[in-house]
Amino acid sequence: MTISAYQWTLSVIPASAVIALLPPPAYTHDEMPQITASAEHRIDSFRYVDFATRKTMQAWMKREDPDPIPWVPLSKPLRESRLCIVSSAALALHQDQPFDTDGERRNPWWGDPSYRELPAETRTGDVHVGHLHIDARAVERDLDCVMPLTRAAELVDEGVIGNLAPTHLTFMGYLLKTEEFLETSVQAMIERMRSEDVDVALLVPV
Amino acid sequence: MGLAAREIEKAGIATVVLSVMPDVTAATGASRVVGVSRPPGCPLGDPGDTDTQREVLRATLGAMERIDEPGGRLDLDVQGPPRSKRYHPEEPVPVVALIKRKPWLAARLVSGDIPDD
Repeated sequence: MTISAYQWTLSVIPASAVIALLPPPAYTHDEMPQITASAEHRIDSFRYVDFATRKTMQAWMKREDPDPIPWVPLSKPLRESRLCIVSSAALALHQDQPFDTDGERRNPWWGDPSYRELPAETRTGDVHVGHLHIDARAVERDLDCVMPLTRAAELVDEGVIGNLAPTHLTFMGYLLKTEEFLETSVQAMIERMRSEDVDVALLVPV
Repeated sequence: MGLAAREIEKAGIATVVLSVMPDVTAATGASRVVGVSRPPGCPLGDPGDTDTQREVLRATLGAMERIDEPGGRLDLDVQGPPRSKRYHPEEPVPVVALIKRKPWLAARLVSGDIPDD
């Protein structure tokens, strides 16, 4: 009696390994539980970080002086607005200069304060990840983990967002000294957004 | 990211920050904060989990329209994954490796007294 390759595969690979390799559950749009946003329920901001990081972050928070908080009302509904997405995941197109990760390796107190532009059509595989504090492999598998340009395009098609700016923006979020970043990169990013008539900006720190 | 959001908002463009650490983002004075309980490095959803990514994005934009005062914050009811090293970078983070070698430098990181080089 002979066994097929399929039967042999079933016999030597445990079911748990097969399950682990399966993609996440695929919901249809109607089945996906609706996500709600609440002011009453507060999430644990430090659930995924270690004790030392939590204490460091909490010490930094005490030194912040948030007031006055700036405010621009939405000028029109989102379904009529132009959206720009800003990611701190340090994404550089392969044809652009990568973020300077070697500089941070040489001097761990330093972070590259520059920024990069990404066309709205940028997709997984188009970019190099220059942020040493996150798992670059996840972003290399799926850009929308951090820079949801494909998902945003779907919401444009659904009419949730008016349209996407031609250019989206990214920088490296580990910056212990922010002066140069705020004075040069942020001002340049603002100029880019203004030149493309951006109405709203979604910022996604990592 | 909160500091960048403040500058953009000051320049006349409405902002919302989708943050995995909304306490920290709110402390910097960001105008609108949406919290999501997800691992750093993967705020929208896991690779390939396009439904979660889309619904997190949809809920964030919906929350943006609801926040009606400076510093307003809404958190999403997303059940994030269990803590796991699979969300950690492959390479040790340089500043963490440095402090493991020279633990006394942790005080400078916590206090914000950052060396010039």
